[in-house]
Amino acid sequence: MEILRLENISLTYHTPGGETPAIKDLSFYLEEGEFLSVVGPSGCGKTSILSLISGLMPPSGGSIAVCGKRVTGPGADIAYMLQRDQLFEWRNVRGNVLLGLEIQRKRTPETVDYAESLLCKYGLKDFMRHHPRQLSGGMRQRVALIRTLATSPKLLLLDEPFSALDFQTRLSVCDDVHAIIKGEGKTAVLVTHDISEAVSMSDKIALLSARPATLKEMYRLKFAAKTPLERRECAEFRKWFERVLKGLA
Amino acid sequence: MKKRNRNQTTISVPHSLYLKREKRRKAAVRACQFGLLFLALGLWEAAAQLKIIDSFMFSSPSRIAAEIAGLAKRGTLFTHIFTTLYECAIGFAAATAAGVLIAVLLWWSENVRRVLDPYIVVLNSLPKIALGPMIIIWFGAGVKAIIFMAVLISVIVAVLSILNGFLSCDPDKILLLRSMGGNKFQILFKLVLPHSLPDIISALKINVGLAWVGTIMGEYLVSRSGLGYLIVYGGTVFKIDLVMAATVILCVLAGFMYFGVAAVERRVAKHRGGV
Repeated sequence: MEILRLENISLTYHTPGGETPAIKDLSFYLEEGEFLSVVGPSGCGKTSILSLISGLMPPSGGSIAVCGKRVTGPGADIAYMLQRDQLFEWRNVRGNVLLGLEIQRKRTPETVDYAESLLCKYGLKDFMRHHPRQLSGGMRQRVALIRTLATSPKLLLLDEPFSALDFQTRLSVCDDVHAIIKGEGKTAVLVTHDISEAVSMSDKIALLSARPATLKEMYRLKFAAKTPLERRECAEFRKWFERVLKGLA
Repeated sequence: MKKRNRNQTTISVPHSLYLKREKRRKAAVRACQFGLLFLALGLWEAAAQLKIIDSFMFSSPSRIAAEIAGLAKRGTLFTHIFTTLYECAIGFAAATAAGVLIAVLLWWSENVRRVLDPYIVVLNSLPKIALGPMIIIWFGAGVKAIIFMAVLISVIVAVLSILNGFLSCDPDKILLLRSMGGNKFQILFKLVLPHSLPDIISALKINVGLAWVGTIMGEYLVSRSGLGYLIVYGGTVFKIDLVMAATVILCVLAGFMYFGVAAVERRVAKHRGGV
């Protein structure tokens, strides 16, 4: 089943200084369960693509459909995970995870049970009543991911969710997040500037050109290895890394 | 993120020494605070008794105590205290409520904020006492004018500090709620208000002080009772004992009110898991 389709998307920014074309004629689609990474030169408008898909801002031209429905504003089918975990310090772990349900007025005994079951399943059972400041960076990120999963979205948007972590934590959190997303059978779009991260996690990599961003190449990755860490050990890893790097230059 | 070692049960010897030292230091500071007070009072009293200072001009602790006892015996002490306390409490509550409401309005609409910005700046720098005669004409020479004075003097500062807290909210957190489909009400109640609670409380702390300034200023202008009235009356009839007595009571009341707010602050901090 097709989860996401972008057709001839364009975006122009207006500032008092003039107008800047940020995205031009961008099209791609994503099947259910696929993991797509978007890479491109810095400042090419990668984050803007997520804002467009999530409906936070409308495109200047073209159309976006999620699960066959045209996106006109933020909706329950999509969940957005931002650069830093953005946990609310005054809420405990459980309270943070239930935030999306409260906002979407879907907080019922069933949905709360589901959110709590996710917390238990992914090793946060004993931390439900803890406050975010009592958790490590990796655990905070896991809570943030479960918060995005709690509303049962069809599509996850990840905006460099690992960039605030140190390298060691980053590798394990990558594995962690990948396992959870695959385990729940979710479709995801990851924006990153880290090619090795993209190669280790994705089924597809969309390579964008410099501004105005357009699709330069779509790579379909095939690995025997399952987890990102195992992929990094593979011989093909280097090959894919160099291919994407060459494409970027 | 560091994890705290909360459940540490065994304390090492150097650490227990450190704790002891800290405890002793705390006790020493407290002792010095009281010592300073008693020393000042003692010197003052001695200087008055030995006629080094003229106690008619400078009063003395014993004369102040006698004055307060006299007021209490005549039964007017509590009337005055109650009047001032009442005006101050109403002014404080009204200013805080208005401060939060106006700050919410300014946060809600950036256009309103831009339009009103110069007016707020001017109102903030205006010495509010200049509006005294106008307030008396509009509200009459009574309690209403005094309360209005108290509100006027503290509300602008409250608005500015609370709004500052509102605007310091991480834009990415707002983005997160918007991406969940949150509307402006939800952003306000789920994010902005809880985020700004510490700022609102620090505004309360400032407001307590300013509400007292406003109340006493109001009583200077128009009043028939209250501590401000006692001070002005004492000044006019040259009863320094009365002026001093009212000032001492004022110190005690303002102190109590401040510690009350500080206690609320501690409770909120504790509820949030401590900072």
